[in-house]
Amino acid sequence: MAESVATSELKHEAEANDRVMFGFWVYLMTDLLMFAVLFAVYAVLHGNTVGGPTGSQLFSQPQALAETLILLTSSFTCGVGMIAARRGNKNQVLAWFTLTLLLGVAFLSLELLEFGELIHEGYTPSSNAFLSSFFVLVGTHGLHIISGLFWMFVTLLFVVMRGLNRQLVRKLALLSLFWHFLDIVWIFIFTIVYLMAYV
Amino acid sequence: MSELPDNTLMQPKAERGTLASYVIGFILSLVFTAIPYYLVVNKVVTGNVLLTVILTFAVLQMAVQIFFFLHLGRGPKPLYNVAFFVSTVGIILVVVLGSIFIMDHLNYNMMAPKATTTKLAQDEGISQVGGEKTGACADIGVNYQVIIRNGQVSPLRTEAHLCDSLSFINQDSAVHEIVFGTYPKSSNYGGETMLKVRSGHPKTITLNELGTHSYYDHLHPATAGYFIVTKNVGAY
Repeated sequence: MAESVATSELKHEAEANDRVMFGFWVYLMTDLLMFAVLFAVYAVLHGNTVGGPTGSQLFSQPQALAETLILLTSSFTCGVGMIAARRGNKNQVLAWFTLTLLLGVAFLSLELLEFGELIHEGYTPSSNAFLSSFFVLVGTHGLHIISGLFWMFVTLLFVVMRGLNRQLVRKLALLSLFWHFLDIVWIFIFTIVYLMAYV
Repeated sequence: MSELPDNTLMQPKAERGTLASYVIGFILSLVFTAIPYYLVVNKVVTGNVLLTVILTFAVLQMAVQIFFFLHLGRGPKPLYNVAFFVSTVGIILVVVLGSIFIMDHLNYNMMAPKATTTKLAQDEGISQVGGEKTGACADIGVNYQVIIRNGQVSPLRTEAHLCDSLSFINQDSAVHEIVFGTYPKSSNYGGETMLKVRSGHPKTITLNELGTHSYYDHLHPATAGYFIVTKNVGAY
């Protein structure tokens, strides 16, 4: 009898988790729509440089490649950390997610470095429509990365203080969904902004 | 380790990734990054082929992320999240492709009616509308070239017949924006108001208006030349 009550509670919790995962998925898809609009704006405006330099003269290919490799690796370490979380291995969770956090910080630093160089050379978002759409598209992704890193930091603090419990594993699962999603958006930024500038 | 027994885990077994699936996904994603990067940096292929190839790799890369990292489609049925994803992709295609398509054709609607007719006829190769010649040429004649190097136009003067074509080739690193007329006034020629000539990307116009026409780079007015279009005896 006691066992069947426990089973029913677990079933109930699993259903609640499914609902939370689906709700978060709906958020990710609407976020993807927002990025799609920003991509459309960039596609339309990327040629409007008012005589200024184009993407191929401004962007550094090796730097974009480094950013991509860092983000892909962080997506992988995040996935491995998630496996550890489902096994309930607290130390591995901390190790893998800390690595993800550091890779995320490295990515963000490279991006801010690039923005800083551009602005220092006088290529600001208000220079022309091409740069406006570039800064908005890449900057929006960067803001998502910042919120993801903040979220990861806070969740890891909770893991350190309270240990791994079901709620925290669920939070980590949502976080890893978010992180993989940002990786997918970056792949398109890498292809459409950085690679296609040289075509 | 034992504080989370298997049946309390967050997702059904099939939906969870194994280490193997993450490793395979990671290796594939590195390969799908390296190939387009190599093609772009070393200019193995160019133009539309390169564009198609790198966009294909981006889509493959997305598929890898979705199947190996997000494990989409391996959750409990019915697959509401897959349905939602597919409809989102549909909306994205409409928004992105629709915007590009509309904005590409908007230029037609931003010219005087006569210039619009000329430009449309030129683009579509329509030689007459309502019994009137549009100035568009059904078959292109001889191609003449103008080379711009160090801001100098060579040759300065081009003589051609109606329906010949004229290509502007830019050998400078800077962009040359060719407008028609004499500085500081500019007008259009055959529906073209400005030719943005990038280095290595020649722009060609069809000589569909008779007479002597000058052109100059409105960014550097010293870069200028002219061409004379005469009637081609026997044709048109």
